[in-house]
Amino acid sequence: MAAKLDFDALVACYYRPLYQFAYSLTRAESDACDLTQQTFYIWATKGHQLRDDSKVKTWLFTTLHRQFLETRRRHNRFPHQELSEVEAELPTVSPQTFGQLDSAQVMKALSKLDEVYQAPVALFYLEDYAYKEIAEILEVPLGTVKSRLARGIAHLQKLLADDLSAESKATM
Amino acid sequence: MNIETAKRILLLYRAGTSDADDPEFAGALQLARQEGELRQWLAEQSTVREIIRVRFKQIQVPEGFKEQIISERPWKTLVVSRQEIFALVAFVGVALLLGFVLLWSRPHAPENKLLAFENRMVSSALRNPDYGMDLITNDLNQIRAYLAEHHAQADYTLPAGLSKAVPIGCVITSWEGNSVTMICFKTGRALSPGENSDLWVFVMDQKALSNSPGNSPEFAKVNRATAATWTQDDKVYVLAVDGDEELLRNYF
Repeated sequence: MAAKLDFDALVACYYRPLYQFAYSLTRAESDACDLTQQTFYIWATKGHQLRDDSKVKTWLFTTLHRQFLETRRRHNRFPHQELSEVEAELPTVSPQTFGQLDSAQVMKALSKLDEVYQAPVALFYLEDYAYKEIAEILEVPLGTVKSRLARGIAHLQKLLADDLSAESKATM
Repeated sequence: MNIETAKRILLLYRAGTSDADDPEFAGALQLARQEGELRQWLAEQSTVREIIRVRFKQIQVPEGFKEQIISERPWKTLVVSRQEIFALVAFVGVALLLGFVLLWSRPHAPENKLLAFENRMVSSALRNPDYGMDLITNDLNQIRAYLAEHHAQADYTLPAGLSKAVPIGCVITSWEGNSVTMICFKTGRALSPGENSDLWVFVMDQKALSNSPGNSPEFAKVNRATAATWTQDDKVYVLAVDGDEELLRNYF
């Protein structure tokens, strides 16, 4: 049974990717810590209900995402931002330019995405999950995940490209 | 499939993952192999994706966070599932039942009859030194005659040392339905008020005991008294004194 997995070993394996996912969603260290700890707390109290050990990682990410949505509902801390339209054209990206990016810029751009795109995009980059697994974690249909990812990634790249472009103009 | 459609599909493509097994990607990848522009775009996209992926992975986890999670591990981690609780309760129930069955079915340990006899006689003598004597006399012959007349144990052999004590009488008593002869003596020490004896001999048929003592006296403390037990001529003897073993040994 999954509950018999060693708690310390489980934390050692997954605390980092869970925290990074949480940080991608919240962009705040304290909130990310809370979400990650809450996820392990829930595991400690309810993890025994999971029958399949191979699903532990997915279970943890799903739980974290649920907690994030629950927290957001309670506190309304994250104002909804509309993504106006799906980009008519895919962004033109330059690997050389993108090489100048740092994590903070990526997180800032991610925060500008509509909330529904943030989690799938974060999972897309953080973990090599199959789309079916991302769909399980986010508890949405596979087709929805793919369409959200396509829009989210395109928009993120555009935001980053615009950011880099503005930065470039400012230094000129 | 045109190039624009292929780009939208390949935007989600991650080389080196299970994405390659997806038929939707396979078609777009096939086109990329044929179209130089699409191939170039895919290569750039892969690089950009890797750059962004690395930036995500560079999110720093606070120092000591892992240790904090582990140290704040809730006590509920010890909570077991409902099935495990049922299993535990069932196990305890079966164990208790088995314990009771074993307790009731096990053969009783053989009782130490000699010890029980010795304790009962000596304790009674200590509690009631007078013992409601049936015959009060200083004459051992009268005592023996009295006992014989009343069909009690009368053909006993007293230790030679008892000649140093003063007989004061006898009692015919019983233990578990077996006749016991009790002869009372005085050691000569000062006795407490109400006490007339402090040295006693008990005689019983050996057949009454499953574990009769040997032929040589075996000394033991019984409360504040000291007693010696032995077997002689199919009779079990207990000689007890309200005192220590050294005192008792004087009467053998």
